[in-house]
Amino acid sequence: MRGSYPPDPGAQHPMLDARLHLLDRQVIDVDGEPVTAVDDVELSGPPDPRHLSPDDPAPAVTGLLSGVTLGTRIFGGRSPRSRLHSIDWRAVSDVGVTIVLHIRAGQLEIGWTERWVRDRIIAKIPGGRHDPE
Amino acid sequence: MILSELLGRAAYVDSHRVGWVIDVRLRPEGRDPDRPMAVLRVHGLIVSPHSKSSTLGYERSTVRSPGPIAALQRWRHRETFLVPWADVAGIETDRIRLRPDHRRYSPELIISASSPPEAKDFEHR
Repeated sequence: MRGSYPPDPGAQHPMLDARLHLLDRQVIDVDGEPVTAVDDVELSGPPDPRHLSPDDPAPAVTGLLSGVTLGTRIFGGRSPRSRLHSIDWRAVSDVGVTIVLHIRAGQLEIGWTERWVRDRIIAKIPGGRHDPE
Repeated sequence: MILSELLGRAAYVDSHRVGWVIDVRLRPEGRDPDRPMAVLRVHGLIVSPHSKSSTLGYERSTVRSPGPIAALQRWRHRETFLVPWADVAGIETDRIRLRPDHRRYSPELIISASSPPEAKDFEHR
């Protein structure tokens, strides 16, 4: 990947690459419970994306997006933004092998289907309200 | 705007295609005492002239093995460059326009802001 281009003047500052360090990463809540995986990243939008000014502030990461993306991964395209759930970037406490949140998974909208199945279906099955013995 | 609107999109200077956006470099900016993680702001776009695919992490300066895969990735992504965000002229539905006088820098990621792995990171694997 070394080329004839000069080094980036900002390269001595720690950086992240969005695709490499954020996409597909496992998200862990404050208790160490797996929450989801990152399917996309939400960025603050420039005022007019078609005509950017060098003086406009660069977009910032505002959230991590997750949702059902199996279909688009097989057949191509991408899920509309409305089909993805967002985890506010302010809930993130660390980015490493996993992305760690400082809140609990129950506080997030993203796990509502699992909670709904647990409370409305699993809980009605005899023995469904406690751990296996 | 979402990341997938940028990744894989062709980059043009005027009517000439110069490559595809394969990653977006982010720079942690400022530490707010009320926020445990810094704001990540777009530093630039990584543009590959020959491939739309990821570099699989081989743009990091310390990754040189396995040798054959590193060599293949270096060949596929030869002449890849980093364009500062200020040199992006516009984002359209089918292309990203770069300014004619845009700067090109080496895409090497010298210092990663990602935390190094710890034993607890592998508990769920």
